[in-house]
Amino acid sequence: MRIWSTGLCAGAALLALNGMAAADIVKVGVIGVFSGGFARWGEQFKQAIEVYQKHNGDSVNGHKIEILYRDAGGPDPAKARQLAEELILREKVQFLAGFAFTPNALSVAQLITEAKVPTVIFNAATASVTRRSPYFVRVSFTLPQDTAPVAEWAPKNGIKKVVTLVSDYAPGHDAEIQFLKTFKEGGGEIAESIRVPLSTTDFAPFFERVLNQKPDAMFMFGPGGPASVSMINTWASRLKPAGIQLLTTNETQEIDLPRIGKAAIDAIGSSHYTETLDNPLNKKLRSDLVAMFGNDRIPDTATVSAYDGMHLIYQVIAKLGPKFNPDDAMKVMSEMKFDSPRGPIMIDPKTRDIVQNVYLRRVKEQGGRLVNENFHTVPMVKDPWKEANP
Amino acid sequence: MTDIPDKPQAAALARSSRFNVLWHAVPWIVAIAFYYTAGGFLSLGTSILVMILLTLSLDLALGYAGIITLGHAAFFGFGAYGAALFSLHVNTDPVLGLLVATAATAVFAALTGMLILHTQGITLLMLTLAISVLLYEAANRAYKITGGDDGLQFEMGPVLGLFRFDLWGKTAYLYALAVLLVWFIVAWRMVQSPFGRSLDGIRQSPPRMKAIGTPVWWRLVAIYSISAAMAGTAGALSAQTTRFVGLNTLGILISGIAVVMLVLGGTRRLYGAFLGAAIYVVVQDYAAKVNPFYWMFVIGALLMATVLFLENGLMGIMDKVGTLARDQLRRVFGQPSQP
Amino acid sequence: MTSAIVILLDGIAYGMVLFIISVGLTVTMGLMRVVNLAHGGFAMAGGYLAAVMVVAGVPFIVAVIAATAAAGLLGALCELTIFRPLYRKGELAQVLMTFGLTFVMIAALTAMFGTDIKRLPVPDWLGGLVDLGIRPYPTYRLFLIAVGLILALALWLIIDRSLYGAKLRAAVDNPRIARAVGIDVNKLFTITFVGGCALAGFGGIVGAEMLPLEPFYALRYLVLFLVVVAVGGHGSFKGSFFAALTLGIIDTAGKYIWPEISAFIMFTLVFVLLLWRPYGLIPPKAAA
Repeated sequence: MRIWSTGLCAGAALLALNGMAAADIVKVGVIGVFSGGFARWGEQFKQAIEVYQKHNGDSVNGHKIEILYRDAGGPDPAKARQLAEELILREKVQFLAGFAFTPNALSVAQLITEAKVPTVIFNAATASVTRRSPYFVRVSFTLPQDTAPVAEWAPKNGIKKVVTLVSDYAPGHDAEIQFLKTFKEGGGEIAESIRVPLSTTDFAPFFERVLNQKPDAMFMFGPGGPASVSMINTWASRLKPAGIQLLTTNETQEIDLPRIGKAAIDAIGSSHYTETLDNPLNKKLRSDLVAMFGNDRIPDTATVSAYDGMHLIYQVIAKLGPKFNPDDAMKVMSEMKFDSPRGPIMIDPKTRDIVQNVYLRRVKEQGGRLVNENFHTVPMVKDPWKEANP
Repeated sequence: MTDIPDKPQAAALARSSRFNVLWHAVPWIVAIAFYYTAGGFLSLGTSILVMILLTLSLDLALGYAGIITLGHAAFFGFGAYGAALFSLHVNTDPVLGLLVATAATAVFAALTGMLILHTQGITLLMLTLAISVLLYEAANRAYKITGGDDGLQFEMGPVLGLFRFDLWGKTAYLYALAVLLVWFIVAWRMVQSPFGRSLDGIRQSPPRMKAIGTPVWWRLVAIYSISAAMAGTAGALSAQTTRFVGLNTLGILISGIAVVMLVLGGTRRLYGAFLGAAIYVVVQDYAAKVNPFYWMFVIGALLMATVLFLENGLMGIMDKVGTLARDQLRRVFGQPSQP
Repeated sequence: MTSAIVILLDGIAYGMVLFIISVGLTVTMGLMRVVNLAHGGFAMAGGYLAAVMVVAGVPFIVAVIAATAAAGLLGALCELTIFRPLYRKGELAQVLMTFGLTFVMIAALTAMFGTDIKRLPVPDWLGGLVDLGIRPYPTYRLFLIAVGLILALALWLIIDRSLYGAKLRAAVDNPRIARAVGIDVNKLFTITFVGGCALAGFGGIVGAEMLPLEPFYALRYLVLFLVVVAVGGHGSFKGSFFAALTLGIIDTAGKYIWPEISAFIMFTLVFVLLLWRPYGLIPPKAAA
């Protein structure tokens, strides 16, 4: 009898060991935008992930990381939620990732809390998002985080009077509120704050108002896409000749500069990523992107966020294995600190949000191409909104 | 096609009604079967049900009454936000919220309808568009109430105090199905009633109907309001089952999609809405995974083909298939086929 | 005061772009009674084609002429294959068909060019600023105003003074009688449709700065073009001119005076105008 039971136990143990040693597939659901006017936000995520997997393989300790891509089509919270539900219930993903738009991220907050699915945000930049669920961790940026540094730098560098011009929707308001706060704290004067309807195609009349105020600079926040291009072009033709500087956050990414053209020269951007950073990771990212996807594939904020987001996921599997407890996973991700193509970054364990350098840069023409040239770095910036609103 | 039934033909007619009942039951049986077999697809199913309701509402206004409108999203969104705000500020009971949202949408539609329904053609189209755009902008501006771009998240109480909205979406699906059934019956009875028949006449020739004394304008306002109420219910359902509402519910794209679904399925067939909505949602879901650009191309091409070749949409094809099948069966069983 | 002049000029420039694109639609709708929701697609196609050519090194003027002609050709192609069957099918069928066509155009352009904006670089002699005495003003906008006025004048001459114009006006007022007196209305349709599409293409090219070229262009700005037609009145070339100018100026002024609710202003205006004059500012003679 004892031989039998020992044998059974040994057999069971062997089976169990085998089960542990057998490779598991970890599914990650990426909700991005692959169609319509914002299709870039899905393409960038996908390409960044492919480069990351080229650098680090597509498995961790023998466990394959399988990426499932879903298209939210744009800022469509209902659709994003439906996709998240399917990924969680149907495909049984263990991570969710992506989310270019804040409304899309917000719509899944209840869901991921109920289902306990760690969710890595690759873009959505409204400050309060990570508070909506304990399973959110963000690797991209927050709008106040990118805005405060330029608002702080400006009054110390000859820019005393500013008009703000933002698109009239939540991210625009976020940027405007942060800029106003920090700029005034630095002793600057806000001559006027203009909010422009999202559907605007011709910005000339708004810029006419700005011109009338005769400010030293204009702080601008656009919705990305055609509108932002139009805004910068209008600045170049109406305000630049009058000596009014342009302060923006992410409107002057290198990948967009060819579209905007020489009008962008001398525009100042304040961003958590500069494409020309000299560190080895960034160089490798740039060269691999070009090699895999063509000459005009320059990394941008979406790319580095997705790249770093994958790192978070890989680290969880490396440390906890494929059958991890979601709360442990969140703990691992919240304590991460590592080098990214954008410089050193870390996740703030209290807020599950990203802490990173912010670079002030100017658009210049170099060797026939338009690039961003850093002139000031603010190290390890925490999200100012959360600091001010505990 | 009006026969005066005599004895053998009456028997044939009676048999064909039994056939009709079967025909009627099919979509509902499919819907219930889906509930049991869908697994993780249930939320897709709920979204199909919501779209069916929206398309059905458009069938009443556009298909039967001939009101060319690209502004139905205004009612969908109005109902959605109505339900959301009611749940946030007054009471989280779903059925109560649904009723309030529906009623509010109907009133809104009646008021705007009274303003614009004396116009026709492209002017009417533009006016419906203008209302839709204005409502969208208003909701966007009033972001303190509507959450603006971020939308509104809210809690829902249990349906009828008993059935909690669960993670798998089971309650949501059955709730939506029940609401759809109720509205469908209302629409069915209305379309067959003298009121519904008069709408047919109005669509074909308003002056003629006026000549025989029909109060055309009032009928139009009435059907517009009922159609809007239905769309409002669809919006409320959409919000309640996802516990979320965003600005896209008021966007022109939803209006356009509703028109596409209606035409694909076939106008004036009520069940056409079922077909059109199901096909559109499934194609969109599937095609978007394969290649996101394909779905615009496929839908556009389908729409063009439907207009060019399939006058009555897919229901037209099903009709032809159905008649063929019925005739074949009769031949097999030795009954005289319908003349 | 300076600002008021600048705003006025901006508004007129914007109005001109709207006019150039929409006039084709107005005449087509008045003449052929075909609702062509894909009209924006022709504007878009013209713009894209010109952009591709200019970037490839073709001289600006050549590119503009070639792309305009191509837009017209595209119109001819569509008319022969897609629109002919629609004439008898009624308004709803036309709305749906052209709506589907728009989707197809957007998908095709996305497949060919991706979703980002296509820049249309203007030659140096058109860029830059001109000193108006009171303020430097973008040369390109003055160019737009000039082009719009010349085009309006040319169209007016054609429609009011030429034989073709006379036949066109007759056919718009009453197609049946026009046929009865021997006017080949079908040929007139085709020529006018092609002309309208070519004009749309031209408008898409010159207006690329104010209405940036990207695949969603056709749907995004469709509402604007339809508004011009509805407010101006079908078939009325004069109506579309005044409607486009009015809308352009009011929209621009609204943005300057009250930025937050400028979108509101324009649509409320449209709403009120349409309720007051359902057949447009200058209604078609055949209106019941």
